[in-house]
Amino acid sequence: MAQLPGRDRGDLPRASGNGGPDDRAQLLADVRRGMIPAHIYNDRDVFELEKERVFGRAWLFLGHESEIPAPGDYVVRRILEDSFILARGEDGVVRAHFNMCLHRGMQVCRAEMGNASHFRCPYHGWTYRNDGRLAGLPFYQEAYGGEAGFRRTEQRLLPAPRLAVLNGLVFVSLDPDAEPLEDFLGDFRFYLDYYTRQSGSGIELRGPQRWRIRANWKIGAENFAGDMYHTPHTHTSVVEIGLFREPKAEKRKDGCTYWAGAGGGTTYKLPPGDLDERLRYVGYPQEMIDRMKDRLSADQLRVVGEDGFMVSAATIYPNLSFVHNWPKVGDSEDVLPFISIRQWQPISEDETEVLSWFAVDAEAPERFKELSYKAYLMCFGSTGMFEQDDVENWVSLTSTAGGAMARRLLLNGRMGLLEDDTEVVPPLPPERFHGPGVAHTGYGEYNQRALLDRWADDVERAPVRPAPVQLGRRRSTGAPA
Amino acid sequence: MSAAGAVTPRPGRVGRTLPFSDERHLTAHQWLVDEAWLLDAQAYEEWLDLLTDDVRYLMPVRVTTARGAGYDTSPGMAHFDEDKYSLSRRVARFQTEHAWTEDPPSRLRHHLSNVRTLATADPDHLVVDSASLLFRSRGDVREAAFVSAGREDLLRRTPDGWKLARRTIMVDEAVIRMQNLAIFL
Repeated sequence: MAQLPGRDRGDLPRASGNGGPDDRAQLLADVRRGMIPAHIYNDRDVFELEKERVFGRAWLFLGHESEIPAPGDYVVRRILEDSFILARGEDGVVRAHFNMCLHRGMQVCRAEMGNASHFRCPYHGWTYRNDGRLAGLPFYQEAYGGEAGFRRTEQRLLPAPRLAVLNGLVFVSLDPDAEPLEDFLGDFRFYLDYYTRQSGSGIELRGPQRWRIRANWKIGAENFAGDMYHTPHTHTSVVEIGLFREPKAEKRKDGCTYWAGAGGGTTYKLPPGDLDERLRYVGYPQEMIDRMKDRLSADQLRVVGEDGFMVSAATIYPNLSFVHNWPKVGDSEDVLPFISIRQWQPISEDETEVLSWFAVDAEAPERFKELSYKAYLMCFGSTGMFEQDDVENWVSLTSTAGGAMARRLLLNGRMGLLEDDTEVVPPLPPERFHGPGVAHTGYGEYNQRALLDRWADDVERAPVRPAPVQLGRRRSTGAPA
Repeated sequence: MSAAGAVTPRPGRVGRTLPFSDERHLTAHQWLVDEAWLLDAQAYEEWLDLLTDDVRYLMPVRVTTARGAGYDTSPGMAHFDEDKYSLSRRVARFQTEHAWTEDPPSRLRHHLSNVRTLATADPDHLVVDSASLLFRSRGDVREAAFVSAGREDLLRRTPDGWKLARRTIMVDEAVIRMQNLAIFL
C-alpha cells in the first residue's frame, strides 16, 4: 500500500501520522470522527486514491436525456481523464461509449455536442455507428484478410461498464459490478424528484456553463450537501442588494438538513400556510403546483405543505449537486424559483472543472422558463452572484491546504456534536419531517460528515480492477454485444 | 428559448468598415477606450451610466462543434444574458462591503484592439467590432487569468452622448479559465 499523506514531514503531535504505513488508517479515523486532516483538500496522493477508489466505483452523472432528444444527438463528457460519447442511437436508445478508436486510440469524436449517424476516426478512417458498433475499416480484406484476421462483427467502441437512467439523468459507473443505481442512490431518490420530476415530462436542461476553479472537488460537494452555516455570511451581499430574502442568519437556522442514501441537502423553512400557499411563496404558478400535486407522492408533498420545508442545495455522492432557490428577478417583490444541476469534475487535487446546467420543468410556461433562466444566471453559474463568493472561499481554502502547516491541522467538522458525540439538536421526529433519512434543524455539519464517511469507506476499499478487453480476436474477454 | 449568439439578430451593418480617419470611427474608438479604463478601475456606477435603459448584454457559452454543425454556441445558455436591472444588481453588489470575491479587488487590464466601426441604416447607431483581452490578477499566490473575446457593440447617440445599446461577447474558450466572471468585458 502506498503511503498516504506523509511526505517530508517533521515530528507531528498527532493528526495523520508520520508517513508510516498506519497513515491512511489514522487519516480515515480522523475523518470519521469529524476531524478533517486539512491536506485532503490538496494532496496528490489522496487524489490518486480518489481517482481509483471513488471515481472508479461510484455512479457518476454524465448528462440528461433532454440534452440529446433526437436520434443521432450526442454530447461528449468526461469522467476524470476518460472521454465518453453519450449518444442517442437511431433506435432511440441512449448509450455511452469510451471515445477511443479500437485501432490506435484516437478520439473518434472531437466535438462536444452535435448530431451524427456515424463517428469516423480521423487517423485511419475506422467508422462507428452512433450506437457504438464498428461499421467499417478501410481495406478490410487487403489489410486484415477479412474476418479471418479481424472479427469485425460485434465489435463496438468500449461501452461505459454500467449505465442507468433515473428521471432522465444518465449515470455511468466504471465498475462493472457496481450495485444498481437505485440501490446506490437509496432514499435520496425521494429528494431527487423535487428537482427533476415536477411534472410527468420531467426537466429539460440548458448548458452547461463550464469553467475551471483552482479548488478541490470535495469542497463544493460538501458545501452543497449541507452547509447552511455559510449562507448568511458568505452571501450577505445578495441579501443587501435585495436579490434574495432568505439567507438571513436567523431565517436560515430554521431550515433543516437531511441525509438519505447517497446524498443529502439543505432546506429553508417556509412561512405558515398550506401546500399551495407555500409553493406560491417560492414563486410557482398554480398550473405548476397542480402538476406537482399530481406527480409527487403524499409524503413528498407533506414535507412542503405540512412540515414547511423547501429543498435548496443538495449533493449526491460523490460530485453531483443541485440547487433550488427563489430570488427576485425584476424590480418588484415577486420571486421566481430556478433549479441548477452541477458537477464538480476533478482535474487534479487542486483544480476542478465546474459544469453548471440550468434545469426547468419541461411543462412550465414559456414565460416561467425565461424568468427562471434569468434567476439562475443572476445567482449561480460562471457569473452567478452566489457562486462568485463561494468559489473565492474554496480557491483560498485549497491553496492553503497544500502546505506543510495544513498537515498539522485537523479542521473541526463536528458542528452539531458535543464532545461525547451526542447531538446538539435531536433529529426531527417523523411527524415533523415526512422525508426519509435523518433530518436536523439548524446549523450542523451532519451531512458533510456523512459525505466524508462515504468517501472514507471508498478510500478504504480495494480498488476495482476489471480485466482488459481484447478486440478482434477469438478469445475476446469483454466487449459485451 | 432565450437567444444565444448564433440566433441573436445582428444589428444591420451597412457598407464596409469606416475609414480610420472617419469622425464616426474616431468617436466610437474613443468611446471604447474610455470605457475600458472605467472597467479597469471598476468604476461600475459610471459604467452603468454609459448603457442605455434597454441595453442587452450577452455572452453566450461557446461550444466545440464540428465545422459543418452550423452553430458554435450552446443553445439557450449564456454566461451573461443581462438587462439594465440585472446589471445594476451586479454593480450594486460590488458596492456592498460583502462582495468577497472582489475584496481585495482584482487588478484588471482590458486590452482593447482590432477596433473597426460600421455604419447602420440609422445615423444614430453605429456597430463597433473589437477584440478584448482581459488580464486579471488576484492576490499574490495564484497565477493571473485571461479571458479573450471578440465583441460586437451597438452604440446609440442619445442627448447624453453615445451609449451602449447592445453588446455580444464571443468568448474564445469553451471552458472559462477563470474562477468566476465577477468582471465585465
